Amino acid sequence: MSGELVLHSWRIFYATVSEMASNRMSSMNLLDTSVHERRRAQRMEDPEFRDAYERATREIEQTDQIIRALDELRVDLGLSKAELARRINRNASSIRRLFTASSARPELPLIAAIADALGAEIRVVPKVRAAKRRPPRRREPAAA
Amino acid sequence: MAKRRTRSGKTDSSRVPQVDRKPPWAIVYYEALDGSTPALEFLDGCPGKIDAEFVAVLDAVAAAPPPQFSGGGKWEAMHGSMGGWHEIRLTGPGREQFRLFCVLENAADGELLRRGLTKPAIAVVTGMRKPWRTKFSETDYSRVRRLGDEHKANHPRRIAR
Repeated sequence: MSGELVLHSWRIFYATVSEMASNRMSSMNLLDTSVHERRRAQRMEDPEFRDAYERATREIEQTDQIIRALDELRVDLGLSKAELARRINRNASSIRRLFTASSARPELPLIAAIADALGAEIRVVPKVRAAKRRPPRRREPAAA
Repeated sequence: MAKRRTRSGKTDSSRVPQVDRKPPWAIVYYEALDGSTPALEFLDGCPGKIDAEFVAVLDAVAAAPPPQFSGGGKWEAMHGSMGGWHEIRLTGPGREQFRLFCVLENAADGELLRRGLTKPAIAVVTGMRKPWRTKFSETDYSRVRRLGDEHKANHPRRIAR
């Protein structure tokens, strides 16, 4: 009987200590990681910063989308990176580095070669706002 | 992470920290023992456009983290003595070169929680700038690594709040 009581007390003690340890972890050790978001929000109040951020984001998205689209096309065609590299006479590691962002600033000739090897092509498509360009200025007729 | 049993015997996951592996990853800034934050001080000292571009690259990489291609070609894995590090490489006015040095905080759930993180993160450690066509010295890089070693020695991590 007293043995059961000791066991029961021990279980309660163990559960309480575990709960305290867990609560301590939740409340003390986990970090507030919001400083980046707060700083960005504060900096975005500056129109110059906002313009630069938005322009950089658009440029980054374009590059990322092209590289990822080429990699998806490669996977759809069942081509390994090594095979793709062979087709364009490149080192396999250069293709691997390109698709994993471990190589900075992918060169346009390389991108074009990969697209061609995958049966695709790179196109430049004007944005909608580019269509609203001013009409060419008409020359004034020469004075008589 | 395993669910914990309460006194009543029911599982209670509400108080057990959970790791969220869905992007975006967190972006955190190393804080030195003296309370300084070298990366934030570096960013604050950069021209506004360069600061904005660094933030945009960090956001892009956090939204689509490694190993996929991300960062518009400005995010690069480093090699040699800086293996395990990533840098963001930007060119500013007068072709001045700006670099931001980062380490990835990605590990098993238990280890991430031990670091104080509930999701994988990009830890931004410090930054440096140099004139066009010059090189950082090995002393410069060893200073960066020393800060990184100090950062990685902390459980939980010391980060800017």
